[in-house]
Amino acid sequence: MKAEKIDRVRRRLLAEAVADNLATIQGLPPRALRTQRRLLQTWLRRAPLVLVPLMFVAFMRVEGRGSRVEAIAIETRPPAEASIIESPRSTNSQTLRSNRDTQRAALGALETPLAPVTTAAFPLSVRRVVLDAGHGGSDPGATRLALIEKHVTLDIGDRLRRKLEANGFEVVVTRSEDETVPLRERARLANASRADIFVSIHVNALLKHTAAHGVETYYLGPTNDPALTNLAATENRGSGYSLADMRKLLDGVYADARRDESRELAGAVQKHLHDGLSTAAPGLENWGVKRAPFVVLVATDMPAVLAEVGCISNEREAAMLTRPEYRQRIADALYAGISSYASANDAPQKKGT
Amino acid sequence: MPKPEILHVGIDLGTSRSAISASNGERFVVDSFVGWPVDMVAKKVLKRNVLIGHDAVANRTMLDLHRPLERGLLKEGSEKDVEAVRELLRHLLGLVGVSTNGKVAPGSVRAVVGVPAAALRTNKQYLRNTMKGIVDSLMIVSEPFAVAYGLDALLHTLIIDIGAGTSDFCVMKGRYPTEEDQRTLTIAGDSIDTHLLQLMEERFPQANVTVFMVRDWKEKNSFVGEPKQRVTVTAPVKGVPTELDITNEIRAACETLLAPTIETMLDLLSRVEPEFQERVRNNIILSGGGGLIRGLPQALEDALKQVGGGRVTYMEDPVFVGSDGGLALANDAPESDWEKLSA
Ligand SMILES: Nc1ncnc2c1ncn2[C@@H]1O[C@H](COP(=O)(O)OP(=O)(O)O)[C@@H](O)[C@H]1O
Ligand SMILES: [Zn+2]
Repeated sequence: MKAEKIDRVRRRLLAEAVADNLATIQGLPPRALRTQRRLLQTWLRRAPLVLVPLMFVAFMRVEGRGSRVEAIAIETRPPAEASIIESPRSTNSQTLRSNRDTQRAALGALETPLAPVTTAAFPLSVRRVVLDAGHGGSDPGATRLALIEKHVTLDIGDRLRRKLEANGFEVVVTRSEDETVPLRERARLANASRADIFVSIHVNALLKHTAAHGVETYYLGPTNDPALTNLAATENRGSGYSLADMRKLLDGVYADARRDESRELAGAVQKHLHDGLSTAAPGLENWGVKRAPFVVLVATDMPAVLAEVGCISNEREAAMLTRPEYRQRIADALYAGISSYASANDAPQKKGT
Repeated sequence: MPKPEILHVGIDLGTSRSAISASNGERFVVDSFVGWPVDMVAKKVLKRNVLIGHDAVANRTMLDLHRPLERGLLKEGSEKDVEAVRELLRHLLGLVGVSTNGKVAPGSVRAVVGVPAAALRTNKQYLRNTMKGIVDSLMIVSEPFAVAYGLDALLHTLIIDIGAGTSDFCVMKGRYPTEEDQRTLTIAGDSIDTHLLQLMEERFPQANVTVFMVRDWKEKNSFVGEPKQRVTVTAPVKGVPTELDITNEIRAACETLLAPTIETMLDLLSRVEPEFQERVRNNIILSGGGGLIRGLPQALEDALKQVGGGRVTYMEDPVFVGSDGGLALANDAPESDWEKLSA
């Protein structure tokens, strides 16, 4: 590089540094803030990505308490079908509850596998799958008359478990009955099991768009733009989270070297979910793979996804969800997604580019 | 050119260490700790109103100890932290001969202060107010920028500065770094210490271990990748000094850096214009105390292989790169600019 070019660059950078400081002195919005403002706009544009799923969660909470039910135009459907969702019989899958304490001791233990440098260098062979049936116990999830999310997810989870086991996978479930298991606890159980992947099953409820129905799969991520994480951290300062907490959380996200794996798993699950269901559910929209900061995904160590397998807020879909054949179809579609991801990993190709 | 009586200084206000380089040739580094005696007794014993750096750490039991930029930010509203920054600056200036009754009067000092990138991003105005009235003229820049300027690494370079509170990443593209050129992670030296302490407590619940002990062990034995030899340390277990093999713990704690560092590095690289990417990949500069972790440059280079390879160079003597860069900026800034930057 020519010396004079460096000199020119030096002079320019110096002038910019001075200008930046002068702006601060004069009380102009400093450079960083001007950038932040731009970021804020980007943030606002992208906020739905993060806020929408959070709203779902919030909504499910509210709805779960029964206060929303009437607000949705519901054409009464005989709830009979819904109530025949079998409560899963005792299973031969590992239920971690039995020896939680041992598992807890194993958590964070020293033989914890060290974080791999890249996932490509350590191709996963998927053998053990954690199935997380959303909600349960005192947390019903989304409801529509007698159709309750916690029952639907448990039933689909159980069907999926049987299918996976029949095909040589080991399955660990975070709950095998209608019980309250906090999200953090689910993640701890999953981590203690040293499973290869984590699949959380949920049913959507859309507040306003009751006509819409589609499927979507989430993997963890605070936003699509790392620059926004800084802004989010700043903006969240007054939110009850300390900046440090927020940073820790977000750094944890970055620390997850398997995020790419999660995205791939989400992609496979989403594709098969949509393909597998759209024949039975005409007009089912493909809402794609999304990133969102779900607590249960934040805390799991393995590639983790959360599938919204249907929309309870859509009348027709709610009706279909009451049918065992449709729930079996969902389980089959999820199975297809998981096994296609697993087989892709058994023949590792170059990834991450 | 500075007038003869003017002293230029570059100051690196780090989360764990702060350094000063002055145009009179003096250079000093201190731990970024400021402590005030907790009570009259402590004050009598210590015979001082405020202790700085190593002194402060050594006497920490008698002090209200502050590390003002602990997480790479100056906590707004904390009087003590503001005062700690001021004390730290005065102390550093004193070391190079600046004092109200010394060789150089504060009124003839022009200072460039490098601060963690996150601090500059979130509280620039606040920082400037905090440092008001200590020197004649003041310019505040981000630490990675000062490093880049000092090294003449202004174009097609990626600086990765792994400090105590933060890891700062900055791509130099021949312009004053903008938001999109920089990233800050709080996974850095301190988070390794916390992690190591936690691992120690889990594995040796009987041992009596402090964060100061694990930091010391880390600084002597840090590594990632395959261990070259076992790491053993001595710690009191139920009061009895006992030898402990902490090879796995050291490795696990240090390797918590890898994934986030690699991900951030690759992400920033992917945002460089394609025709310059290769140049930047081959021009990665690792600085900061965390950069001393054995095997880290190699691990980063291994990760770069996925994207076509690259070269990571470690700054051999990282202590003064930031303050030297600040001094270079101070020396280069035209007289007319300095006049506008009065503090
Ligand atoms: N040999 C080493 N191995 C690992 N970490 C080290 C080593 N030496 C220093 N450190 C760590 O580097 C950090 C300090 O780096 P430094 O660049 O001085 O930080 P800052 O600029 O934030 O003040 C501390 O966390 C310290 O423990
Ligand atoms: Zn749900």
